[in-house]
Amino acid sequence: MRQFYLPFYLAWQYIRRGRKWTLLLTLFLMTVAFINLVFVPSLFSGIIDGANKQIINTMTGDLYITPKDGRDFINNKDQLISQVQAIEGVESISAKTLVPARLKYNNISGNWQILAINPNKDKKVSNISQKMISGSYLNELDTDKIIIGRQIAGGKEVEEDAFSFKDARVGDKVSLILDGKSKEFTIKGIFDTNFVESDKRAFITEKALNEIMPSSINKATTINIKTDPESNQGNIFESIKDLNIDGNIFTWQESTGLMKSVSSSFLSINILLSFTSVLIAAVTIIIIIYVTIINKRKEIGILRAIGIKPYIIIFSYVILSAVYAAIGIIAGTVIFMTILVPYFIAHPFSLPIGDAVLFLSWSDFLIRAEIIMWVSVIAGFIPAVIVTRAKMLDAILGR
Amino acid sequence: MNDHYIIKAESITKTYHSGRTIIKAIDNVSINIAKGDFLMITGRNGSGKSTLLHQLALLDSPDSGAIHIEEKNTTKLHEKGRMEFRLLRLGYIFQEYALIAELTAIENVMLPAMMLESIKKAKRKAFELMEKLGLEEKVNRLPSELSGGEQQKVAIARALINRPKIIFADEPTANLDTIASKDVLDIFKYLNQKESITIVMITHEPEELAYAKSKVQLSDGRIVS
Repeated sequence: MRQFYLPFYLAWQYIRRGRKWTLLLTLFLMTVAFINLVFVPSLFSGIIDGANKQIINTMTGDLYITPKDGRDFINNKDQLISQVQAIEGVESISAKTLVPARLKYNNISGNWQILAINPNKDKKVSNISQKMISGSYLNELDTDKIIIGRQIAGGKEVEEDAFSFKDARVGDKVSLILDGKSKEFTIKGIFDTNFVESDKRAFITEKALNEIMPSSINKATTINIKTDPESNQGNIFESIKDLNIDGNIFTWQESTGLMKSVSSSFLSINILLSFTSVLIAAVTIIIIIYVTIINKRKEIGILRAIGIKPYIIIFSYVILSAVYAAIGIIAGTVIFMTILVPYFIAHPFSLPIGDAVLFLSWSDFLIRAEIIMWVSVIAGFIPAVIVTRAKMLDAILGR
Repeated sequence: MNDHYIIKAESITKTYHSGRTIIKAIDNVSINIAKGDFLMITGRNGSGKSTLLHQLALLDSPDSGAIHIEEKNTTKLHEKGRMEFRLLRLGYIFQEYALIAELTAIENVMLPAMMLESIKKAKRKAFELMEKLGLEEKVNRLPSELSGGEQQKVAIARALINRPKIIFADEPTANLDTIASKDVLDIFKYLNQKESITIVMITHEPEELAYAKSKVQLSDGRIVS
């Protein structure tokens, strides 16, 4: 046990008194290897996470209720909302009713999704009210106002301009055609969530719908629920189920549709790229440590010649490798968190499914740090064993 | 076994392979070294001096024959046992000092002692030794900041730290000037005479033979005188 401190002592002296530029280069490479290992996965995770947030914030909420199979509406929605609202962990609820109508602007008409909402309640579940790029959001009492998504309004920069109103503006009139009857609405605002699917929708107030379709009173086609982030979503889901409500309850994940396959493809690519990144990091680290140890071949021979046991020599290089890895991980984390993440928040990748920023869960982050640590320890261990098993005199005399 | 001898080597042979050529570096050499001897090994380059010293100092093992050190047949030891033997009973001084570049002079000296004692004790012993060798001003210098003679003295101190019974030195003065060489040889003489340490040393310099109590000459891997 007396010798226990010796490997730490040797490793510390190597770090302290080794060549500074070699040490800096080694640490730089370890840092780059770690950043490489977290950057690509965090980018893909960021895309997936961004898309998921878009779905939750603009379309479904955390949970949502749809009519029972074979029915068009959820009946007694006010009663249902009060029941659900009483469940612990439910933060806010918004009912939406799909308006079975067409929109017409000048000579262009189309079957976009038109939803009737209570703007005050929907504001608390969806973030569309914060995504207005022109005009303003709906007011509860608006009966002749409509807000439309950017993909409906159109414009030269718009992805689906060909199927849009081709540059409709706030204040322009659009007609809502329901059961052959037409009602004129003024465009009050245009929103841009940066999520194409969401931006192909229009919203009117519940009050407006009730006026043109009185049968829709106290009915809804979807009820979106926002839960407290601290609460257990699974428990809330079960509690709603236990209410035996007039509808089917789903989690947001079940609504992802097209996004589900996109996310799953990204996930597969992410796994492949992560594997490649691990391989590249492993090879880089092994080369770095191997070269370091091979350069110390003579010193290792001398240590053996003066009676230092091989396990102490091996352990000192394992510690050295672990220290390199730890510094690389810390430096990589600092660069990632203080430079890369803020940079991508300020300049996100703009995709049709939303803005992508770098995102990596702490557990994924720790797994990658652990991978670097283990790879480094193995990378230190193997060459140290090889060198300590080589002929001592060959090592000392450089043969 | 006569306990008068601290080392008794019997018929040791060591061969090297260079491509298809087999080189007999030492050929059936037997040598007895008495306790307290100051033995100098001489011979031309390639005569097998260093190979013999490596075998006697347990840095290498012979292909055949036996080496007894303090009556222990070391050829039967595994590497672990040989390492312990080197640590506890033998000191080795290389021609080119073989100091660890990242360690200061005192750290180099205390290193073998750290295998047996606390850092504090090892440091105290190392300082005492370095003081004896006139290196007290250089304890915190790195090897690169020392002269050749100083580096060799540090190597001697390192070889002495665990109080070995035998010191092996492979041309320890080869890279030193006359004054530094004399210093090193005087230290060996002192260790041999005052501390009763057996010294086995290789030399090329005829004038150094004056320090020896006994001599052997090697030629083509055999003892010729």
